[in-house]
Amino acid sequence: MTNEVFDVLIIGSGHSGGMAAKILTESGIRCLMLNAGPVADVSRNAEQKPAYELPYRGFKPPGKLEHVFQASEFNANVWVDEQEVPYTFAPENPYNWVRVRLFGGRSLFWSRQSFRLSDYELKAKSHDGFGDDWPISYADLAPFYSRVEEIFQVSGAMDGPPQMPDGNFVPDDTPWSQSMQRFMAAGKRFDMPVCKQRRALGRDGLASSVNLLLPDAEKTGKLTSIDNAVVRELTVDKNTGQPNGCHFVDRLSRREMHVKARVVVLAAGTLESTRLLLNSKLANSSGVMGHYLMDQIYGPGVTCSVPEARNGKATKELMGGGAIVPRFRNISTKSDKFLRGYALNVSSSMGPVHPRNFAAYGADLQRKLEEYHGSSFYMTMMGEVLGRYENHVRIDKDKVDAWGIPVLHVETKYTDNEFNMAKDAVAVGSAVAEAAGFEVLSKNEVPNPPGYSIHEVGTCRMGDDPKRSVLNKWSQSHDHKNLFIVDGAGFVSAGWQNPTMTILSLSMRASEYLAGEMKKNNI
Amino acid sequence: MLRREFVRAVVSVSFAPKLLLAQQSAEPAPARPAPVPWTLGLNPRTPLPHTEVVDGIAETELRFFTPQQMATLVRLSDVLMPPLDSRPGAVQAGTPLFLDFLIGSSPDARKKVYTGGLNWLESESQKTYKKPFANLDTGQVDALLKPWLRTWMNDHPPTEQHAGFVNIAHDDIRTATVNSKAWSDAPADPDERTAAGLYWYPIEPDLYARNADCAHLPPHVVAAPKAAHTMPSYPR
Repeated sequence: MTNEVFDVLIIGSGHSGGMAAKILTESGIRCLMLNAGPVADVSRNAEQKPAYELPYRGFKPPGKLEHVFQASEFNANVWVDEQEVPYTFAPENPYNWVRVRLFGGRSLFWSRQSFRLSDYELKAKSHDGFGDDWPISYADLAPFYSRVEEIFQVSGAMDGPPQMPDGNFVPDDTPWSQSMQRFMAAGKRFDMPVCKQRRALGRDGLASSVNLLLPDAEKTGKLTSIDNAVVRELTVDKNTGQPNGCHFVDRLSRREMHVKARVVVLAAGTLESTRLLLNSKLANSSGVMGHYLMDQIYGPGVTCSVPEARNGKATKELMGGGAIVPRFRNISTKSDKFLRGYALNVSSSMGPVHPRNFAAYGADLQRKLEEYHGSSFYMTMMGEVLGRYENHVRIDKDKVDAWGIPVLHVETKYTDNEFNMAKDAVAVGSAVAEAAGFEVLSKNEVPNPPGYSIHEVGTCRMGDDPKRSVLNKWSQSHDHKNLFIVDGAGFVSAGWQNPTMTILSLSMRASEYLAGEMKKNNI
Repeated sequence: MLRREFVRAVVSVSFAPKLLLAQQSAEPAPARPAPVPWTLGLNPRTPLPHTEVVDGIAETELRFFTPQQMATLVRLSDVLMPPLDSRPGAVQAGTPLFLDFLIGSSPDARKKVYTGGLNWLESESQKTYKKPFANLDTGQVDALLKPWLRTWMNDHPPTEQHAGFVNIAHDDIRTATVNSKAWSDAPADPDERTAAGLYWYPIEPDLYARNADCAHLPPHVVAAPKAAHTMPSYPR
């Protein structure tokens, strides 16, 4: 067994690795999956607790996870520790790299928003002249989206405009609340389409690799998985120059090991896959590896109150529900302030309003909290970040992680295109709210640091030209036909959409291609 | 532990259920001769000692703020979050001393927000009223604080120097108070309850789950047995 050569080595167990494992093993291909962290078992590793029983009363443990704004004391132990696996950046350009190394990766913890890209993203250059088109079009991806939506049980309505293609949905026919109807009516004068949210329901309350993908792979008997395997670098066959496995280190014992495989599929998450290839000095004949890092602008938004719902008058007819406003800028009109566009997540709530929405304290604040209870209406922005060569990652030669593996240096920042987009989102959001008769309580037009959205994509982009891209249209390395990257690293443009459905569809498509090529003995 | 002792301990633990039964029988088995393997006696029927949350029993020691900064923080906390109806205020919830611990454990940037802010309040008080902030009446405190109140969104507190401190401290004082044992013990509106949630322990692999039956732990959920076993399958 020690010298066993697997058909395919899959590095990473999240959405993209889980999908690759499912498709490949169901095709009869023997796969080895390595994951850098342990298996999380909620029945053993977690417990319901009140904040006062925790050492910091629910505050994030001080000095830890400085760049994980999403962390609290309750979940601090599920994120990658920045001291254990550091990364570097210039102080003036901070980057929030939000990572999970538990088995299943970030598929265990995600917002479940599930959108398709359209040709406004896949053929963005053809539309507005900036950047590059993807080597594939919407028609290539659509059948895969449908299958992924079936597996992930995506709920939604068939109400999307062309820039948000409809899909294979669990129908959402819940009625709109009156506050949402008022928002929709007010948005019409801004050409703002307002659609039902699209969300992966999954099964049993979870929509993750560990419950929707890996069980199918395990059922075949063709999947072998190892946890706590921190991959140091890919190995190369001296005769052929092709990848043939990897070196890894056991996370706890630090025992150094290696495994062999005929094909390597990277699914470690955009920046970890790129870090691994840069450390392995592979697949970068184009020199563009690490470049074109993108994500989405998060942080800007508007918090409002619906006056008719105050003083205990909120009803289910008036309040509640959510909506997605898909990108509406630069579709049929052209902005002179920015390229591309943003979406708004909209929600109406019968719950409490956060105290920071009132410039008051003490008894005054308490009165406000009681008066406004049940009347809140929120808009938050998801804006496309343009793909720029200069926004990149590289290996930091001066720093290593807990296992001696060189870390990433991230050099990226937002430009006026992103800042102007954020200002527009808040201005339009406020105007629509006021036109709908809502009171604006607070707003923010400053984006969170890049990375915050946890939608980092790019750095190994796909393309038809091997001199300007790392992967071909099948997510396969131009340099090594037995090397695939199936996570978000292959994206050519980020879009405003949450990337999960696209990552899953690309992984499914690449894996079926790989299985076919292996059957034909082309790989 | 020597390997031989370890093996002996493991073997002994695996006999524990039988030993339990033996203890219940009319004729208990004769006691083992010493020495007994270390962990032999602990079993699922071992009573667990009951412990309490320390707040309300012991006092946090002042370790970070100066006595004057703490006096200012106590007055600030009392004005920003006084006791209302049945709810305890920040002072009753032990918030100022908790913040001494939290801020004292935090990175320098956060420490400076607090020490700078508390010193500024004291100097404004001396300048305007010729007395310490801690001795100001509520109207005087209001006059110093209210010009700096802002509304803001998550992760984006005001960036002006004094407004930053006032609003961040207000948010921290409220969170520390609402999440306190004292607040939790008081009758409160359901929407104002102390935060509670799923707390994740450090996640490390170990062997104890292998003895889950013995330890009466909840059974480990196997996501998918290997092909030889029957397994649940989701309809597609």
